[in-house]
Amino acid sequence: MGSLLVIGYGNELRADDAAGYLLALRLADDPRLAHATVLARRQLTPELALDISRAGRVVLLDASSEVRAGEVAVRKLRPLPGGPLQGKAPAWSHHLLPEAVVGLAQELYGVAPPAHLVSLGVCSLAMEERLSAAVEAALPAAADAVVAIAQQEVAAELSRA
Amino acid sequence: MSTGAQPTVNQIVIDPITRIEGHSKITIQLDERGEVTDAHFHVTQFRGFERIVQGRPIHEMPSIMARICGICPVSHLVASAKACDQILAVEPPPTAVKLRRVMNLAQMVQSNALSFFHLSSPDLLFGMDADPASRNIIGVARANPQLARDGVGLRRFGQQIIEWLGGKRIHPSWVVPGGVDAPLADDTRRQILAGVPEAIAAIERALDWHRTELAHWEEEAAVFGAFRSAYMALVDQQGNVDHYDGLLRVMDADGGWLADRIDPRGYEQYLGESVEPWSYLKSTYWKAVGYPDGLYRVGPLARVIVADQLGTPLADAELARFRERLGRVPQSSFHYHYARLIDTLYAAERIGQLLADEEILSPRVRAYADINSNEGIGVSEAPRGTLLHHYRVDDDGLVEWANLVIATGHNNLAMNRSVAQVARHYVKSARLEEPMLNRVEAVIRCYDPCLSCSTHALGEMPLLVQLLGPDGQLLDELAR
Repeated sequence: MGSLLVIGYGNELRADDAAGYLLALRLADDPRLAHATVLARRQLTPELALDISRAGRVVLLDASSEVRAGEVAVRKLRPLPGGPLQGKAPAWSHHLLPEAVVGLAQELYGVAPPAHLVSLGVCSLAMEERLSAAVEAALPAAADAVVAIAQQEVAAELSRA
Repeated sequence: MSTGAQPTVNQIVIDPITRIEGHSKITIQLDERGEVTDAHFHVTQFRGFERIVQGRPIHEMPSIMARICGICPVSHLVASAKACDQILAVEPPPTAVKLRRVMNLAQMVQSNALSFFHLSSPDLLFGMDADPASRNIIGVARANPQLARDGVGLRRFGQQIIEWLGGKRIHPSWVVPGGVDAPLADDTRRQILAGVPEAIAAIERALDWHRTELAHWEEEAAVFGAFRSAYMALVDQQGNVDHYDGLLRVMDADGGWLADRIDPRGYEQYLGESVEPWSYLKSTYWKAVGYPDGLYRVGPLARVIVADQLGTPLADAELARFRERLGRVPQSSFHYHYARLIDTLYAAERIGQLLADEEILSPRVRAYADINSNEGIGVSEAPRGTLLHHYRVDDDGLVEWANLVIATGHNNLAMNRSVAQVARHYVKSARLEEPMLNRVEAVIRCYDPCLSCSTHALGEMPLLVQLLGPDGQLLDELAR
């Protein structure tokens, strides 16, 4: 069983879109996640399927316009195997939606570890290199949400032992 | 009977084209009989880098120029650093040159793999008449998991090398004027070398598959940019392929030389740049032949055509098979796919060769100097073809003028002609049909154009295809 993998992604040039990316950079130095592997990426790409397949649990961090601005939402990703992937991999590019990158790990490597998506509600997607005050203020809560998922993993490990 | 009247023009618009790097659209001109009269490949966003850098010190240039593109930043890094080398009048230490080569080749691997495995293999695997919903990486993973795993593995191999050398996989700043920023650690060398055999194996599996499949694509090969043209790429003094340095060779459609081993820094004597009102992408042409007949092609297909040999055993063996099957100067741009795999095989082998040399660990990796020249031209092979960076600076090293000649610009005339050829073959009615549209797009994907390099735009558009009647009314529309 691999360890916790955290992948934050977003565009640093588009204000709150960078929330997941910047949160990942902070979590890389968070002592509560010293055992985790933390990656900061601009987008989800197929190559991440290999990292995901090697992890025991995965947390993806992203900005969302479907969550109220400045709030944090956590949901389990329920792909696959055999689930519907159509529409999750756009025909026009090489980036993937969260369910698809976890599903791709299942398709290619036969393993899809438990996965969560932590979403931060955005205020602004303007072309600027800083988060809005509301999203900046929400980062600690989002970090706590990731730590809580990590602790679930530790508890699960202990119960299995 | 001729009426003497001008044909009424209908127009099909494909906006944007999918699965290429960047955004553009295609318009297809129809006359009143529904016959294709012309087609244009439009790049609709503006590139401003030549202006943005004015006033910046040259030491910033490589890292600024790397921001042009998230797919091939290393190409811009290398070409920019080479232009700066000339302004400093320094020759980077031999180990620095080898390390720059390794990084440039790593980018060839990851970018070529993106083009072939992620963007084009869905068409090649499922066919262009297949449901668009399955023609993507997920569909490939289900239908041919080994092919998908090989694509993922090759991308990772190339990106990991860039990250290990440059500190990050996108926009590394390790290549600097005068050399590179830090020597190579032995454990990094070992890590990279450990991945070379599997990378080669993955490319060979893809080559085996593609060679077998080629016979199924004869119709497309006959019309996907199948026309006589010249090809241009860098070669070394012996006439073998050179991705980092070397001299320009231009071969005509009959295998003769338009130019052989000329100094690329004299490009302005040979290459003209034309601008059309319908596109922000410049069209480069061979001056001696003129515009637009001086069309030539660059990129992996050009590299394997103009080079005498590649210089690594497996790639040379595959090159021999390529030439036996397709001749010395294949006319069809469909064969960019095959050439791209050979190019990737060469890159993986050559990375292994370069890292096997003990000199690669030398700590002498950078030369330092002040401004010693007011002009510099850096030339290298990017994944999509020959890349030129040309700067003029003042005595303090501040950029006064810059010109970038990008691979996609070299290929612009060929891409336009290819689109027109495909449209004439497949567009037969006033109704828009997915397979026809996909073939029009697929011929563009053969060139793997990087519009980020030539424009730099943010944002994405949904695909919208419109068929307009003579007076502008909407006859048909497709969106996806």
